[in-house]
Amino acid sequence: MDTIRLYIRSMGILIKSQLQYPLSFLLQTLAQLIMEGGEMLAVILLVDRFDHLNQWSAGDLYFFFGLMSVTFYLSECFGRGITGNFPSMVRTGQLDTLLLRPRGILTQVMCSAVDPRRITCIAVGTVSLIIGSRMAHIRWSPARALLLAESIACGFWLILGLFLIEAVLCIHSVKSVEIANALTYGGRSACQYPIDAFPRPLRCLFTVIAPFALVMHIPASHILGKPLFSLPAWVAYVSPLSGILVFGIMAFAFSRAMRFYRSVGS
Amino acid sequence: MEEKSFIEVHHLSKSFQVRKKREKGHWRGEKKTIRALKDVSFSIDQGELVGYIGPNGAGKSTTVKILSGILTPDAGDVRIDGQTPWKDRKEHVKRIGVVFGQRMQLWWDVPILDSYSLLRDIYRLNDADYTKRLHELTEALGLGSLLRTPLRQLSLGQRMRAELCGSLLHRPRILFLDEPTIGLDAVSKLALRDFLKWENETHHTTILLTTHDMEDMAALCSRVMVLGRGQKLYDGSLSALLREHDRTRSVEIRYDTPDCMPSLPPSVRMHREGDTLHLTYATCDFSTSDLLSMLQKAGAIREMTVQPQSIDYLIADMYREMGL
Repeated sequence: MDTIRLYIRSMGILIKSQLQYPLSFLLQTLAQLIMEGGEMLAVILLVDRFDHLNQWSAGDLYFFFGLMSVTFYLSECFGRGITGNFPSMVRTGQLDTLLLRPRGILTQVMCSAVDPRRITCIAVGTVSLIIGSRMAHIRWSPARALLLAESIACGFWLILGLFLIEAVLCIHSVKSVEIANALTYGGRSACQYPIDAFPRPLRCLFTVIAPFALVMHIPASHILGKPLFSLPAWVAYVSPLSGILVFGIMAFAFSRAMRFYRSVGS
Repeated sequence: MEEKSFIEVHHLSKSFQVRKKREKGHWRGEKKTIRALKDVSFSIDQGELVGYIGPNGAGKSTTVKILSGILTPDAGDVRIDGQTPWKDRKEHVKRIGVVFGQRMQLWWDVPILDSYSLLRDIYRLNDADYTKRLHELTEALGLGSLLRTPLRQLSLGQRMRAELCGSLLHRPRILFLDEPTIGLDAVSKLALRDFLKWENETHHTTILLTTHDMEDMAALCSRVMVLGRGQKLYDGSLSALLREHDRTRSVEIRYDTPDCMPSLPPSVRMHREGDTLHLTYATCDFSTSDLLSMLQKAGAIREMTVQPQSIDYLIADMYREMGL
């Protein structure tokens, strides 16, 4: 509870900091809108050209796209400390100051940055979710709404978990290596389309190593009434938890890696 | 039973692996091991104000980082108030305050008061105690009028005072300072010194100060440790250390008639600047009265000053002698 309070307080301070430069903030937020709008345009063009992808209709594809962008940009917004700032904190030695405070390192890293500019990306995703839901005629029930919320929440932790791979690598190498980007940004770009659109090796990658399929595609296909691989309903409720598992494993790896942290010169 | 000191450091060693840049024609860069600390031991009592000096790269910052729990040593043992810093980091850091002269811990774009209230949450301080301590510190540091100013708008000296306040809010029993006066002007430096003395005296806070500024050292620390190439070379009073290396005097002298040239032994270095003569001699060569009589033979002296070497020169001499 105390940690959540600290997180909220930190966010307050960080947002206040960003609003010190209102024009810059506004322009960057607009830039984000254009960027994510462009991504969505790609989906619109695809749908316009092909009408459907395997069994998925246009509405379904908007729904998948919306789910990915809401989840991904929520992670980038509230987990900015992990997704963006961590490598530079290691490189500049700013991480030292976190080590001097009586709180968990991961907690403090989470509290160290927020990126409210992503709000426009999240908005684009939300619009896409709504359009998709209308076009696919989803019959909403409390259970389905809950499943959507679960998928987003677990996806949030999955994505942070994947970004932690890079954090762990950069503790060892001091310099950012960006090798994990294949899973994070690559995963976002690929998995905004349902998993059965991909060949087997990629399916394995995004089911076992970076389980976007388990966290997003299986519950989403259930919500859309077209369960992937005809899986039973309970699977859709259980499979997203794999995202939290990934985060748990990486958080453990992170704390182990911190023992090797060697700081930088004075 | 042997009485334990507040800070006990036994046989501390730490080395780093540094990879050198890859040379042409080689597959990978050579690895080089730098031994930052080699078997360093010392102890500090509660309430002591100790200076820690040594040339760049001597291992001072490494020591501070180990004592504050950021780094784990390769070998050796540290006990601070009975506990090992890197074993239980969270418990340990509640009791210490650390200020790095070149690293800021407060938030850059918000008023410093906001930073302090976030620190209150981080350290889980109770409100009454926090308010009292904040009041006391802002008074002592002269920060009252700056509390609502964002950190980025403060001058370097003001920023350092703000940082100090931030690192002392949780009433640490030990304060580690790593080059706190770096880049400060004379006024800020003096204010900082006064404050450190005050904190040390009123709260009995143990302070370990790393600096290159010998004036700080002389003004604050009765005890000095000298570190060089990862080893402790001296531990004792600053005045004794200086006395040991204080062997030369420089003399400035002006005669009534400007072209007077005293005849002096060749060991005395001498040069002329306008009508002033500058001499440097070693005190072990002859007594001051001998020198005076030699100087007076040349003519009537109008003005004369005798000065010891500045502390910086002494320290540079000392480092040279110790082979650093």
